Order: sequence, then C-alpha cells, then structure tokens
Amino acid sequence: MIGTMMRLGWTNLKRDRVALFLTFLMPLVFFSIFAAIFGNMGGSGESGAMKALRVLAVDEDGSDVSRALLASLAAEDSLDVAAAPDANEETPEPASWTRDSAYREVRGGRAAAAVVVPRGFGEEYGNFGQPGQPLELIYDASNPMAQFAVSGLLQAAAFQAAPSALMESGFEALEQFGGGDLTEDQQSAMTSLKALVDEQIEQGGPAAASDGGIGGLVQVVSTPAHEDDDDTQSFSMVAYYAAGIGVMFLLFSMTGAAGTLLDEQDSGTLERLLASNLTVSQLLGGKWLFYSLMGLVQVVLMFAWGAAVFGLDLWSIKTLAGFFLVAIPTAAAAAAFGILLATLCQSRAQLGGISTIVILVMSALGGSMVPRFVMPDFMDTLSKFTFNGWALDGFLKVFWYNDPDSSLFDSLVDLAPQVSVLSAACIVFLLISRRLARRWERI
Amino acid sequence: MGSPALLVEAASKRFGETLALASASLTLERGEWLALLGPNGAGKTTLVRSIADRVRLDGGAIDLLGQRLDGSPAAALVRNKLGMVPQEIALFPMLTAAENLRLWGELSGAGDKDLGQRIEWALEWTDLETRRHDLVGTFSGGMKRRLNIACGVLHRPEVVLLDEPTVGVDPQSRERIWEMLSELRREGAALLLTTHQLDEAQQVADRIVIIDHGRDVAAGSFQQLVRDTIGAGRRVSLHLDKPVAAPAGFELDNSVLRGTLDDVAQALPALLQRVATAGGKVLDVEIEAPSLQAVFIHLTGRELRE
Repeated sequence: MIGTMMRLGWTNLKRDRVALFLTFLMPLVFFSIFAAIFGNMGGSGESGAMKALRVLAVDEDGSDVSRALLASLAAEDSLDVAAAPDANEETPEPASWTRDSAYREVRGGRAAAAVVVPRGFGEEYGNFGQPGQPLELIYDASNPMAQFAVSGLLQAAAFQAAPSALMESGFEALEQFGGGDLTEDQQSAMTSLKALVDEQIEQGGPAAASDGGIGGLVQVVSTPAHEDDDDTQSFSMVAYYAAGIGVMFLLFSMTGAAGTLLDEQDSGTLERLLASNLTVSQLLGGKWLFYSLMGLVQVVLMFAWGAAVFGLDLWSIKTLAGFFLVAIPTAAAAAAFGILLATLCQSRAQLGGISTIVILVMSALGGSMVPRFVMPDFMDTLSKFTFNGWALDGFLKVFWYNDPDSSLFDSLVDLAPQVSVLSAACIVFLLISRRLARRWERI
Repeated sequence: MGSPALLVEAASKRFGETLALASASLTLERGEWLALLGPNGAGKTTLVRSIADRVRLDGGAIDLLGQRLDGSPAAALVRNKLGMVPQEIALFPMLTAAENLRLWGELSGAGDKDLGQRIEWALEWTDLETRRHDLVGTFSGGMKRRLNIACGVLHRPEVVLLDEPTVGVDPQSRERIWEMLSELRREGAALLLTTHQLDEAQQVADRIVIIDHGRDVAAGSFQQLVRDTIGAGRRVSLHLDKPVAAPAGFELDNSVLRGTLDDVAQALPALLQRVATAGGKVLDVEIEAPSLQAVFIHLTGRELRE
C-alpha cells in the first residue's frame, strides 16, 4: 500500500512539469543567481568579475604626489578611475573633472565615488609633524560599498604613490623632533630601510604595502553626494526597497489578478462573456486597464507609506511628477505582463507555478532582491532584459539620483530611457497576449 | 408566414480528425419550444455554439430571424436578439444577484433606460428579490441556475438557447425553472433547449430534434416521432394465474402475456374476455405508453447518457 502511494506521488510529480521544475531546478537557478552575485562566480574571467566601481579623480593640486596618488588608485583592478568625462565627437578633449562636476556625477548615479585631491596636498604630504590637507571622498550613499572600498584603497594608493617622499619627510621629522642630526650610521640605516620599502612595493604591488598593516597615511574626509539630506543612507535604502519590493509584488498581484481569465475559462464565464457583444480585444483591454489602475494604486500606496513612515521625500512637484511618470508605465507593463502569463497558461495551477518561477528570477536579476551594484558585469547586463530592472532604475532616478539643480522638464527627460523601455515592454506584452488569446476566439 | 426564428441548414464542422457536425439541420419557429436531444458527443454543444457565433462552421448556414449569420454588421445587430444560457453557472460569485444581472444586461446590449426595470423583473421572475444584495457565491444550486437563466434573457431576446438549464438541481428548483421558461414562451420567445431530461422534454417541448453523430436523425412532435419510429401502440402485459394459449401478436412468458395494442380502449376488453374464455384468470394488468426514451433508443441504438 505504501509502495502504491509512493508510485502515485511520483506519477503525479513527473507529469507536472512545473512542479518538477519548482522542486528540482528552481533551487539550482536561485542558488546560481545568488552564488554569482555573492560568490563572484567565474571571477577570473572578464564577464564574471565583480563590476569595477566607477571613481572620478579630481586633481586640484596638480603636483607629482597627487598625480602619483591618482595613478596608483587607477591601477586598482576593482576601480574604474576617470580623470575626465569620456571623449566624444563634440568634445574630443573634455576638461578634467572639477569638484562640482564630479559631485553632480556621483549624485546622478553615474559614478560610485569621486576623490578630490585638494590644492597643497603634495606639499604637505608625509609631513608627520602636522596634519596635511585631507583628501575628500564624495560617495553615493545608496551604494554602501563605495565609501569603504574607495577609502581603503586610497590609503594603499597613498602609501604606494610616493614612498620616497614619505621616507624623506619621515627623516626630516625624525631629525626635527629627535633632537638633532642623525649620525652617519643612523642615516645609512634609514637609507637602507627606504630602499627596502621601495623594493618590497615594486615586488608586491600596492597590496603589499597595505597588507603590511601600514594605513591611515592620508586623511580622508567623506562627503555623501546627498549631503543636503538628513539621513542619506537610510533614505536611499527606503527608496531602493520601496521600488524593489513594490515592483516585485506588483508582478505577483498582476499575475494573480490576471488569473481570473483562467478561472472564467474554467467556469464557462469566459465563453458566455465572448458569446455576448464583447470581443477578445475588449476583454483583454478592459482587464488590462483595470489591472493597470490597480497596480498604480498599489505602487502609490507603497511609496506613500514610505514617505509617511520612513520619511521618503515624495512630496515635491518634481518628485511627484517623476514618480508618476515611472509608476504609470510600470503598472501598465506589469499588468500586461500578468495578462501575458495568463494567456500563456492553460490553467490557474499552471499560472501559479510559472509566474512564481518567472517573477522570482526576474526580481533576482532585476535587482528587487539584491542591489545591482553588487552584481557581476554579466548579471548586470542580463538585468537589462528584465523590465522590472528598468522600473527600479526609474524609481531610483526619481528618488535618489535626481539633480536638485535640474529643472522639472530636464528631470523628466532624464527618465526617458526607462519610460520608453517600460512602455515598449507593455506594448509587446499586450501584442503577444492578444496573439495567445486567439484560442478564446470563435473556432 | 414569416421566416423562422432560427434555421440551421446542413451545418458541418470538423475539429481535426473529429467530425463534430455532419450536415445537421433544424428549424425553430417563432414562439416555439424545441428540444434538441442527443447522446454525449453527438454534436449538440457544437451546434449551440455555432448558433451563438462561437464556432465557425465549415459548411452550411444559420439564419436568425431571417438574417444570415455571416459576420456582417446586420448579422451582428440581429445577434442582440439571441439569448444564451450556458450549461455552466457562468456568474460572478463575488457579485450580488443584482450586480450580476446589471453586468450581463450591459454586455448583452440591454438599454440603460430599460435595464433597471428588467433587473427588477428578473429578480421577481427568479424569486430572488430578497436575495438581491447577497453574493451569488452564497446561493444554492437552484438559485444560481435561476439567476443564470435570467442573465441570459435580460435583454428580451426573441430566441433563447438553453443548454441543460436544469442540470444538477433539485426537483423543486427544476419545477420552478420550467415555470420560468413557460413564462418566457408565453411572452413570445422561441426556445431551443438541450437536455438529458427526456421526460421533461417530452412534456414541455412542442417539437423534438434528435441528433446523433453530428446529424439530425429525426424531428417532429413527440407523437410524430413515436408514430414514425416505435408506433403509437401501448405495450400491454397481463399477469395470469396459469399459462394460456397466446393470441396472435402476443407472447407468453411464464404466465405473463405481452403484446402491443394500437387502441387500448377498444382492444383490451376483448383481450381480457379472450383470456377468461381460455380459462385463465388475470391477476394484474400493466399498460406502458410509448416514451421518448424508447424512441431515442430506437433511433440511436443507445441510451441518452452513453
């Protein structure tokens, strides 16, 4: 009897492909996605490597030391250091970054951080007697990796950049504060030590210096790119998760709602609806419009809650306009996506299984679960094929990477790529749905 | 005489390898009640769906109220005079009775001005006035069935297609549904009914069409069908106290004499007299009227539910 029941269970399972996928393959898919994100899968290869942080170098000092420091920073594989904007046809030789232009870039989300080397830095570099000019690190607080990673690498770069200058300054300080000139033997020992340090750095690269426990050679003052906000870090995460969780649940609720098509199919209500004056296009159109409105209300509620409870900055004309500009096509595309899945599936049970798989994978890739800045390059590229990733980008532009100095018009134009992709996705989903719904037309 | 309410001529339809309709024809006169009978898979549902414009015929034609259903604008207009009551309870359980009526009325083209009155009429007609604000999901099977019918006739159709309108309901509800349909007919609607309830079809329908293997195999009133198939005679069984010689046309089986009498009123007394003369004593008499069931089996060679 027990064997019979086991056979029954296996027969049911093997004939339910969705259940089979959910049981055996889905865990592997998720494991692979998260392993790729956190385990730096295939890190030796270009595509699998962790995405390099884009850092802007602002050299206000222009000394040998500042150039050496920034060059050393640029040698870091994990950073993509740019001293000036990319050249193009209009500006073949663009001017170097200034503090203001770099600040705007970081605030706009186009760079993770900017390092500003202030005027006079080189002169006072390695002066152990008095504090020198601090470096300024402007960072994007929505990317928690940026501040700490760049700050640490700056220290390593500082040591490697001008070790001779450091040593010489050290000797001078020793002579100044040690009570007189060094003896010949002392000077000889110091010279040997300096040569040894140079040799070690040459052999071991920048890591050798920092690994040796030498740190804190330069002062670094960190400035969040949203310094006008009171609590930048928490606001950024509220905005991020309002968008991420909001879009993911929007997809779940849309597919759940669109499942009524299949319920109506099973109950015979759909047949009766289509035997009335209603056409298939009207049926899908009516449902899509309603679900879009429903989705819009859902997103509005999510962000209004974020504003009321977590202090998300929603109540300005520019933010509201941008929010609705992104929320409307997002809700419309999610509604169309739900209808697409419903027309693709033959039964409610099938829809439940398939939508769970598709939405979870899309959400993982699109950044609803894990921020995209921690993803390897190839996964970041994959996320461009998930429309929820574009929705997330749009919301982040509105709530985080907005330029406070830009006009309302410019800030809305800045959302054009996201709005265009979401609108196009919506149209494509609807067209495919209409095609799939031909099975409900008269036969 | 005007055109019939519904005319189906040589309708044929194939689904892949399956021939669902093979030149099926029927005529439904205005104000007539026509029962469409056939075993499962005979093609009834395909025929009804063709009339409701949910199946595109491979061959043949359908005229509704004199208008050919050919996809033209005129055909779309005349379709508003068709009511459809599916076998399934095609209602929205999370809507109230009144909300369902309004929704289906709007979709069927019932005018805005008239719709309110028609909803009141439908609630009264279905005995659901007191449940008008209750969710349909809380209704009994019979109540849902009645509302299901009402939703299909709210726009005052001249032709109503009823697919198994009484399936799965208790006898009281079934009786109420037949009363409702009789009222519709009295108001002038022509009804095309598919059912497995042969006794009820026999009682209520003006005419019956029997369909099998996708084609109509017989059509006419019950009496016509009986006369044309098994004959109008009554089957008579006489239970005797002892065997006697069987008269011509009768068989004797263990002291039971069986045969058919065309005119029972005249022939039965003579038969009884003959048995008495032969020394037999009649213990019991059974007289069986011809049934639609017998006609059906005669025509199709199988039970209706096979």
